[in-house]
Amino acid sequence: MAEMIAVEQGSMGRVAYARIAPNEDLVQGVEKVCLAEGFRNAFVRGALGSLVDSCLGTIDGKYLQIKGPAVEIVSLAGEVRSDEDGSLRAALTGVVADPEGNVYGGPFVPGLNPICMTFEVTLEEWLPAR
Amino acid sequence: MTKRVVTTGVPRPRTLIHPGRFNPVRIQSHHSSKGRHVRLALLPGVSLFDGLVKPLAEIGITSASTTILGGYFEGLQYCVAPPDQQRQAVIAYSKPITAGHTYMIFGNATLGKGMNGLPLVHCHAAIRTESGEVKGGHILTDTCIVGRDPIPVLVTSLDEFELRQAYDPETNIPLLQPYKETTNG
Repeated sequence: MAEMIAVEQGSMGRVAYARIAPNEDLVQGVEKVCLAEGFRNAFVRGALGSLVDSCLGTIDGKYLQIKGPAVEIVSLAGEVRSDEDGSLRAALTGVVADPEGNVYGGPFVPGLNPICMTFEVTLEEWLPAR
Repeated sequence: MTKRVVTTGVPRPRTLIHPGRFNPVRIQSHHSSKGRHVRLALLPGVSLFDGLVKPLAEIGITSASTTILGGYFEGLQYCVAPPDQQRQAVIAYSKPITAGHTYMIFGNATLGKGMNGLPLVHCHAAIRTESGEVKGGHILTDTCIVGRDPIPVLVTSLDEFELRQAYDPETNIPLLQPYKETTNG
């Protein structure tokens, strides 16, 4: 098992803004923004947009599905990390609103949150001290 | 109708058909070489739109991503996004919903330039309305009036490129998109 690091020092680098198109997955879309911009680690600085439907994870491994369209993303936080196997992994959490404005929250499940109209995201590169 | 379902099986994501031609470019992105941040206070009595746009314009920022860190509004209106009954697009914003004296729990607002060349703010937020319900949606920033206490905002300036609203043929609506040119000072 990899050593768990509690404190990681570093600095902020570049800032990227992206618009992701409909039917792309939210979580993997953010990972692809990092690929496009050459970021290996990043924090979400701002994000808003809409999803066709939203799928949030639960602590017992179930899926909380919010039916749209559209489900509005009203709060989003998260990060992208480069994994030891060379892949990028985004972990995003947030609050969404259904077509009646009712809100739900949790972690976005990768692959199950297709964008409806648009998704705007601002990422700030994180440069860990080596 | 319930919009919330809990399942043990993996739900199948839906691919919607938009009115326009599919654009093979799925991600439009640009970057600044360095982050520039501003701590802004939305002042009592001003609209959310003016409270963001004017002070940032004075320091040369016309494209930015902002996080609204919570606070009270004397009045606030928002929209939700149901399917478009006119079928011009997949969804269309509802008529404005008046939330009254509202606490904004958390909001994100993007500042860019509209198709008319004037400043544009696109804002989504989670709110607690005057009736006590927690709701979320698209905030009408020009009708939201800051309450008696200033509301803090963290601004990330988008330099070396700019955000402009442009017609998007695929979705058949105007959308904010990044372009290489910039006017941020």
